[in-house]
Amino acid sequence: MRLELGRIKITDVQFADTTKVEKGTLYVNEQELVNMILEDEHIKSVKVDLAKPGEETRITPVKDVIEPRVKVDGQGGIFPGVMNKVTTVGTGRTHVLSGVAVVTCGKIVGFQEGIIDMSGPGAEFTPFSKTLNVCFVIEPIEGLKQHEYEAAARMAGFKAANFIAKAGLDVLPDEVEIYETKPLLESILEYPNLPKVGYVYMLQTQGLLHDTYVYGVDAKKIVPTILYPTEVFDGAILSGNCVSACDKNTTYHHQNNPIIHDLFARHGKDINFVGVIITNENVYLADKERSSDWTAKLCKFLGLDGAIVSQEGFGNPDTDLIMNCKKIENLGIKTVIVTDEYAGRDGASQSLADADAKADAVVTGGNANEVILLPPMKKIIGMLNYTDKIAGGFDGSLRPDGSIEAEIQVITGATNELGFNKMSATSF
Amino acid sequence: MVKEIERAGIPVVHICTVVPISLTVGANRIVPAIAIPHPLGNPALDPVEEKKVRRKLVVKALKALETEVEGQTVFED
Repeated sequence: MRLELGRIKITDVQFADTTKVEKGTLYVNEQELVNMILEDEHIKSVKVDLAKPGEETRITPVKDVIEPRVKVDGQGGIFPGVMNKVTTVGTGRTHVLSGVAVVTCGKIVGFQEGIIDMSGPGAEFTPFSKTLNVCFVIEPIEGLKQHEYEAAARMAGFKAANFIAKAGLDVLPDEVEIYETKPLLESILEYPNLPKVGYVYMLQTQGLLHDTYVYGVDAKKIVPTILYPTEVFDGAILSGNCVSACDKNTTYHHQNNPIIHDLFARHGKDINFVGVIITNENVYLADKERSSDWTAKLCKFLGLDGAIVSQEGFGNPDTDLIMNCKKIENLGIKTVIVTDEYAGRDGASQSLADADAKADAVVTGGNANEVILLPPMKKIIGMLNYTDKIAGGFDGSLRPDGSIEAEIQVITGATNELGFNKMSATSF
Repeated sequence: MVKEIERAGIPVVHICTVVPISLTVGANRIVPAIAIPHPLGNPALDPVEEKKVRRKLVVKALKALETEVEGQTVFED
C-alpha cells in the first residue's frame, strides 16, 4: 500500500467570505461552518473562534483536535466508515493543511477535557500551541444525554475538518512524502537481512465515553488485527475519548502518529517496518487476556524480531501494556513499550499500576502528576468554570485572577504516549 | 491497603477485576471480580439474577478467607 502525503504549509488563518487556501493562508467562512454544524439537531449553538501561536489565549474544555486532510486520489475518503464510505483507505494521495488544527470544545464530562494555552508556560506542554486552531465551542440542546453530546461534538469536529480540508484539494503541496508498505512476503524478500519490526498500537476502549473507533467500529468490539500503516494517515482510527487530557490520543495524534512516522523513516535502512497491529484496552479481564494473547500471536505470525508497543491512558490499561509486553517477549520477540507516568507530584511513587521484569525497555512521556501554574490569559475560548473538577485539578485550582494551578494532566497532549511531545526521561 | 491490613495480622481477600495488578501489588488471596466499572455486580442482568452473582462472589470471598494459603493464590471457579 502506497500513499503520497502532500503537505500544504499554512502560515495564517483568517475569517472570510469564502473558505479557501491562498498563498499559505487559510480563509474560513464562519457562517458556513456554523450552519453546517447546526444541522445536527442535538446541538443548540456553536461558536467559531481562531487561536494562533503566541496569543494570550486559553482554549478549554478541549474535547478533540483534528487535522484537516482530504483525499485527492485513490479510493475512499478521510475517516472511512464515519464520514465516508467504509472503503479501505491508505493508498493514492492525500493533502494535508499542515499547521492547522480543528479544536472542538464542550463541557461533556467536565473533568475529562483539556486545556490548550497558546502562550506562556502551559504552551510548552502541548503541541497545539504551535498550530493555527479553528475552535468550535459546542453547546448541546437541553436534556441531551452525555454520550449523545459526546457523539455530536465528535461528529461536528470531523465534519468541520473535512469541510475545511476541501480547500486544499487543488492546491499544490509544499512537500510530498511517500509512504509505502508492501505485502508481508514481498517486504521480507525486499529486505531479507533487516530485522522485521512491527508496531502494536493500543487503543483506549474502556467504554463509558472512553472509546476509539476503527473504520467506524467501536474498538472495544474488535479482536486485534493488522492495518497497513498508511491507513492510519487517512483517518482509519479516530478518537471518541473523554479521558485525562495529557495522555489521550486525539484524532490529530492518530493522524500524525509519530511512531509510525519514525518507523517509516528507518524502513529499508536499519529495520524492515512490516505493519501495525491494533489492539484494545477493555474492562473485562477475559478481554485483556484474549487481546494480549492475540496480539502476541499476530507478532509471531508476522515473524517479527521486534515490536514497539504504545499505550493510551493509564491505570488499568497499564495491565494491558504489561500483558502485551510479557506475552510478546515470551515468544522471543523484543519489545519497547511507550507509556507515561503517574508517579505523584514529587515523582517518588511507582509510575505504573503494573510491572514486569520483561519490560526492560521503556520510553516515558513524562510524569502527569507534576504541578504547573498557568497564568491568567486575556482571552478564553470556551469556559473556565469547571477547572476545579478537571482530572489533575483540585479544589481551588482556578484562582480569582483566572490563573490555574493544576497537574500537567490537564493539558492536552502533555504526556502523550505516542511521543508526540517533548518530555521524557533518560537513565544511565 | 491489602498489605497493610495483613501486616496487622488480619487476613484479607482482595476482590479485584485486574488480577495481574493484584498479583503485582502482593495480595495473597485474590478473588476475580466482574469488570472494572462494576466489580461486584453486572448491570446487564436483571436484579434477581444479579443478586445471585453478587452473593456467589461474597460467599466465595468468605471461603477464601477461611482457606490456608501458601503464597499468592487466585481463587478461580
